[in-house]
Amino acid sequence: MSSADQPFIDPSEIKLEASVAQRYKNRSEAFWAGIRDAAGAPAMVLFAGMVGFGAMGKTNGMDAWFTTATSFFMFALPGQVVLLEMAITGSSVVAIALAVTLTSTRFITMTVTLFPQFHEKDRNHGLYASVHLLAMTAWAISMREFQTIEAKHRLSYFVGLGLLCWIISIPGTILGYLLAGVVPPYITLGLVFINPLFFLLTFTEVKPWVNRIAIGLGFVLGPFFFLLDRDTSLLTTGLVGGTIAYLFDRKVLRKRAGVMS
Amino acid sequence: MNASLQGWGLWIALAGATIGTYICRAIGVLLAKRINQDSEIFRYLSAVTYAMVAALVVRMVLMPIGLLSTVPVWIRLLICALSIGVMVSKPTHRLVPALLTGTVLMLAYGLIR
Repeated sequence: MSSADQPFIDPSEIKLEASVAQRYKNRSEAFWAGIRDAAGAPAMVLFAGMVGFGAMGKTNGMDAWFTTATSFFMFALPGQVVLLEMAITGSSVVAIALAVTLTSTRFITMTVTLFPQFHEKDRNHGLYASVHLLAMTAWAISMREFQTIEAKHRLSYFVGLGLLCWIISIPGTILGYLLAGVVPPYITLGLVFINPLFFLLTFTEVKPWVNRIAIGLGFVLGPFFFLLDRDTSLLTTGLVGGTIAYLFDRKVLRKRAGVMS
Repeated sequence: MNASLQGWGLWIALAGATIGTYICRAIGVLLAKRINQDSEIFRYLSAVTYAMVAALVVRMVLMPIGLLSTVPVWIRLLICALSIGVMVSKPTHRLVPALLTGTVLMLAYGLIR
């Protein structure tokens, strides 16, 4: 039996059986650990991003209620930016809804790659509420941390993490709205740069080669597909880049012993 | 500005965008119930997700809108490279220093230009 025929073993499962038996005593401890972990870099990143968005809303003549409502209801910064941009340039309501939905297709695969890691008992209808807390920041952190958290505490950890990220984005947006034009541009420049930088940095922590290749292909193909058609570019880049990375991993990397994972 | 959506149109657009965004999240939950994290499809979808997220990030760095677009591309890339350098200089616990490096460098650029 060649290595390609063997079922893929998640590295996290091996680790759990060996050393990390219990990282948290109970659900509430896991929840608060999620809150604590969110309070560092993730909250800083989201807060900064939302401050930038709030400022963008103000400078484009939106009212404070509307700008803040997008953060509360959508909680997806790239989608919010698309909404604002298109509303300013006078796109139709249908075009806006479609474009934003296309930007949000990443949530489908983000959910599908994160939620199966929860304990079987937690995978119920309650997830339809928790999923609103899913954004790129919480996803990136969870993908990393879940490997050392036992399955039954992962949901609590995620909810703590996501909840603080979501809550912090509201005052962030309001503050950005109030500060627009008041703070010098170089401060705003630093704030809007934190977001892409954070994701760039978390990519260095991605371990499996299949995902590393996918990231590399995303960097190369992303701008190309963006120039072809901006609305569908994320989806097409994901499908093309992801498929190539997966096939390369399956046909080449996994045939060679020692390179797996 | 006169082309922009006003009043109720704006809120209807927000409602449409919100529903679209939530539907994407909800489809994810629906599918997640049937997917085993040890399966090949899970591995495939992980690769697709990382490629999508990478495309989003490279767009934010290379083709930003607003203030960041006034910074020359090579400055943006240089600051990214330096921050990644700080990040990988030690395999663990360098996220915040690396994040601060990049942010401070960008602030400094904005200050001296």
